[in-house]
Amino acid sequence: MPFISKIQRQSDYSAFPSRHPIVIDNGGSYFRIGWAGESDPRVIFRNIIQRPRHKITGETITVVGDHNPALLKYFDCTRTGPRSAFDNNVVYQFEIMEYILDFGFDRLGADQSQIDHPVLITECACNPVQSRSKMAELLFESYGVPSVAFGVDAAFSYKYNQQLGICNNDGLAICSGFNTTHVIPFVNGEPVYEACKRTNVGGYHVTDYLKQLLSLKYPHHISKLTWEKVEDLKMEHCYIATDYESEVQLFQKGDEEADEKIRCWQLPWTPSLSEETTPSEEEIARKAALKEKQGQRLREMAEAKRFNRINDLENEIRDSENLLQRLRHAEEDDIPSILAKTRYTSKLEVESAIAKATQSLRKSKGEPVESVEKTDPSATEKYNLINVPDEALTPEQLKQKRKQLFIKSTSEARQQKKQKQLEEELERERQKKLEEEKRQENPEQYLDELRAKHRDLSEKVDQRKRLKTNGGHTNGNHNSSGGVGRGERLNSSQRERMRLLTTAAFDRGKGEDTFGMKDEDWQLYKLMSRDNDDDDDDDHPDLDEAELARVTSRLREIDPTFIFKAESGSSTAEAPHFRPLTKEDFQIILGVERFRCPEILFHPSLIGIEQLGLDEMAGKSIQGLLDKGRVSEERITNSILLTGGSCLFPGLSERLEAGIRMIRPSGTPIRIIKASNPIFDAWRGAAAYAAAMQFPQQTFSKMDYYEKGEDWLKGYQLRLDK
Amino acid sequence: MEPEVVEAELVLPTHMRFKKVQMYEKYPKGQARVRWKHLKQIIQAENYQNYPPDEPNYVNIESPPSMHPSKRICDITGFKAPYLDPRTKLRYANAEVFRMIRSLPNEYVQRYLALRNAAVVLR
Repeated sequence: MPFISKIQRQSDYSAFPSRHPIVIDNGGSYFRIGWAGESDPRVIFRNIIQRPRHKITGETITVVGDHNPALLKYFDCTRTGPRSAFDNNVVYQFEIMEYILDFGFDRLGADQSQIDHPVLITECACNPVQSRSKMAELLFESYGVPSVAFGVDAAFSYKYNQQLGICNNDGLAICSGFNTTHVIPFVNGEPVYEACKRTNVGGYHVTDYLKQLLSLKYPHHISKLTWEKVEDLKMEHCYIATDYESEVQLFQKGDEEADEKIRCWQLPWTPSLSEETTPSEEEIARKAALKEKQGQRLREMAEAKRFNRINDLENEIRDSENLLQRLRHAEEDDIPSILAKTRYTSKLEVESAIAKATQSLRKSKGEPVESVEKTDPSATEKYNLINVPDEALTPEQLKQKRKQLFIKSTSEARQQKKQKQLEEELERERQKKLEEEKRQENPEQYLDELRAKHRDLSEKVDQRKRLKTNGGHTNGNHNSSGGVGRGERLNSSQRERMRLLTTAAFDRGKGEDTFGMKDEDWQLYKLMSRDNDDDDDDDHPDLDEAELARVTSRLREIDPTFIFKAESGSSTAEAPHFRPLTKEDFQIILGVERFRCPEILFHPSLIGIEQLGLDEMAGKSIQGLLDKGRVSEERITNSILLTGGSCLFPGLSERLEAGIRMIRPSGTPIRIIKASNPIFDAWRGAAAYAAAMQFPQQTFSKMDYYEKGEDWLKGYQLRLDK
Repeated sequence: MEPEVVEAELVLPTHMRFKKVQMYEKYPKGQARVRWKHLKQIIQAENYQNYPPDEPNYVNIESPPSMHPSKRICDITGFKAPYLDPRTKLRYANAEVFRMIRSLPNEYVQRYLALRNAAVVLR
């Protein structure tokens, strides 16, 4: 029954005489108000308010219950969500309660100066007197209600079904509501609250659990998973498994039976255009042409820039040379006056500027730059001091010698490096040739080998990357986990180091200390030092990565079917970004969730509430009743009534029967009955009760309230069986 | 206010004919709103420990913890969970789920833990 609200204003308020009671079922999810003796409540709405601001005028308004959500577009609802007057199942926020009552009475059609009707309102079992007195006060003071009566919804529901002949005089009412679940035993038609049990789990928790699970499973569709929608999903698809373990095994095995049980909610989805057809040849050609054109333009631009630069440089050189010419011919005295017009201060500077410009001109024209080393004077001349013994040199020369030594060694090193590079190049060339030959021999096999190699390497690199990042970002949460978490974060060489350190630390004083006798002993410190493992940690992946890059480029060259999976790590988590969204991405699958969520009614510990589940509650309650010795067991178990919105899950009664059978002695007759209407029966029972002749004796007036005080109100209990 | 909003009577009027004390009289603007006691405070103020234990009250009708061993289910899939990941403290059913929880960001791990009220709350 998804969210039915009846909020049309009633017009026949004045037709009711002033002694005709108004009946209110103040439930956790719905507020129902109507007239005593009628079969259905007149007005029903969700027991919540919202107080958004008007977007234009900025005035705060109050909206009670559910309205057309389209109308809320004029209001800024981002700051305040829907609020309820309930904390658990107790009314505590009487300002909100007053708004709700205002709305309820208004829609019932009240138009006189006060509510001149007795009011019967429901409350939870054993309501704290603070809440009860506040409610009475509110009704007396603000609405001018002549008299008030409080009753428990589950009790009214049981009574109503008893009158319909569905359940017996003695029995058990199991009422699973929005916030809580109650089990209330009945003896001779009266509730026995001494043996009553409450667990703080209800429909709210089931919906919330489902909502959280789905939004964790589908973080992309979180905006679609509104409270209302999830509540609908719950009511439509959730059921209670007869046996959780065996049901879950069905799903784990992936049987056909399980497939049939999976429900799928397809979100609105329009196939994206790019995905529809793989781009045709024409398209590809067009795109390539476009790219080529753009490349051409860029090349032209670069060319033009280069040309300009060469021009500029040539002009500069010409100017400078002119200047130099003039300086050469000019008199010594005129030089400053000539230079003053230019940006140079001396002849030397002009010369160096020319040299610089010529070099950059060469560079931009693409000619090889003359390296300084090639123009080196012969080595013997340059390093003339090296072979001379120190004694024969003056301090000045000694300095020079040291300098020369340095220069020589560096230049030699450079030469060596060049040589090595050249050799490596040759080696690579050779390998390439070798591979090429191999390919020529058997292209198929070669390709396969290459692919396998690529796969291995990319996996290796990936793994290493993951290890590295994992160590980095999970630091935060397992300081508490002690040794285990620490061990996992270290890589192998680091672990080895830790092992060495610890053995070294604990090795002291055990037998003879022979450390240091052999030279190898001292190698230990090398292994222990931190730099050591850093080095080889960085070395290997580099090699691997280089190899991977090489294989990849090779594959790209020769294998037309090869697709390189994105440069960045190619991990599966990133895959969805690269592939077009499909219909399946917009599906919300309900599998195990269908019975996992309502399971919390039987195992509240699943959501961290350490209390009894439905079956155990019933057992405990029956036990409590039997301890008092007021009634025989069969009479109770023969009439177990299920009422309240959360009892609508299919399979609940079967499961409950199995559960109670396990707890109670064998042979106990167990009869579990569903209420005629688990949602409305509480109100209907209350309305029938308020219409009875004896009802006025069960109410109390404002006078009574103030005379007798809170202590009396605490003990106030409605008598169902008059 | 827009005409369609007025027509739908979305907004609760501030003045009600049938009330003896109006909302705006009780909670005038600018005055500090009443701090309503939460259930915890109500229970505390009620002093239930002084009540006779054989009489039913809000606190003693609450059901005790279960006698059955608590069910351990996989935090992700809902399957039977024989394993516990020592790093994240999540329960899991098999290697496949384990691989998945190891790739989960910490925020999600905490949210999964919060579902069964086992998340680390820093205050």
